[in-house]
Amino acid sequence: MVTSLLKYLGILILGGIIGFKGKLSPKLEGKLNTIQTVCLLFLLFIMGITIGINDEIISNIFSIGLKAGIISVFTVGFSILFVHLVKKFIPMEEKEIES
Amino acid sequence: MSLKIFIAVILGVGTGYFFLPTEFSNNIGLIIDIGLMVLLFFVGIDIGKQKDILDKIKKLGFKVLLVPLAVIVGSVVGSMIIGLFLNMKINEAGAIGAGLGWYSLSSTILLSDGYVELSALAFLSNVFREIIALIFIPVVAKYIGKLESVSTAGATAMDTALPVISSSTDPQTSIIAFITGVICSTAVPIIVPIILKLPV
Repeated sequence: MVTSLLKYLGILILGGIIGFKGKLSPKLEGKLNTIQTVCLLFLLFIMGITIGINDEIISNIFSIGLKAGIISVFTVGFSILFVHLVKKFIPMEEKEIES
Repeated sequence: MSLKIFIAVILGVGTGYFFLPTEFSNNIGLIIDIGLMVLLFFVGIDIGKQKDILDKIKKLGFKVLLVPLAVIVGSVVGSMIIGLFLNMKINEAGAIGAGLGWYSLSSTILLSDGYVELSALAFLSNVFREIIALIFIPVVAKYIGKLESVSTAGATAMDTALPVISSSTDPQTSIIAFITGVICSTAVPIIVPIILKLPV
C-alpha cells in the first residue's frame, strides 16, 4: 500500500510537471475535463462490478449494508462538522484566486 | 454529474451481478489500477496548469493541515458515537471510520487481524462513504462550503473524488483536497490498527 501510494503520487507529479511546463497541445488541453469524467465514470462502473460480482456481499447487502450505511453517514457528517469548526483558521483567498 | 456517477455505479452492480462470472474479480484490481493511473495523470496535468496556486498554498502554510486532521478526528469520532447506538464495541466502530473511505485497505487490515465481519462492514461502510462523497460533493460545495465538501471524501480526495471536487469547487480547494487525501491515505494504515487496540 505504500508502493501504491508512491505510484499514485508519482503519476500525479508526472502529470503535474507536464501541465506545469505547458507541453500539451491545445487540442488535448481542451479535452482534459472530458477525459477525467470518462475515467471516473469507468472506475465507478468497475467499482459497482466489484460489489455486484461478490455473492456474499450481495446476499448480505441489506443487513450489513444498513449498518454500514448508518456508520458512513455519521462518518461523513462528523467530518463535515469538524472541518466546519476549523474552517475559520484556514485562510482562503478566493477573491485573489478568481481575479 | 452526481446522476452520472450514480448511474455508473448501479450499471456496474447490475453488470457484475447478472453478467459476469466470479472469476472476473481476479482481473479487476489491474483494471482499477490502470484506470486510476490514467485518471490521476490527467488530474495531475490539471493541477500543474495552475501555476500560481503553488505560491498560494505556500502562503496558506501548515494551517492547511487542519483540514485532514479535522477529517480524521471527525470520521473516527462520528463512527464511534454511532457505534454506541448500534451496540458495537467503540474501538471496532472507530476502526471503520478510520478507513476514511479507503475501503480496500481498511477492510484488508481488519481481515488480517482476524475481524471477518468487521472487515465486511468496513468494506461496505467505506464504499458507501466514497459513493456518498461522490454524490454529495457538488451539493455540499454549493450549499455548505467548499472545504466541507473536501471533508466528505477523506482519503479518496486525492484520487477518485478529486475530479468531482475540482469540477465543483476551485483550483485552490482542489489542491487542499489533494493534500487532505494524501495525508488521510497515509494515516489509514497507521490509525486503523491503533484505534482497534484502544482499551475499551
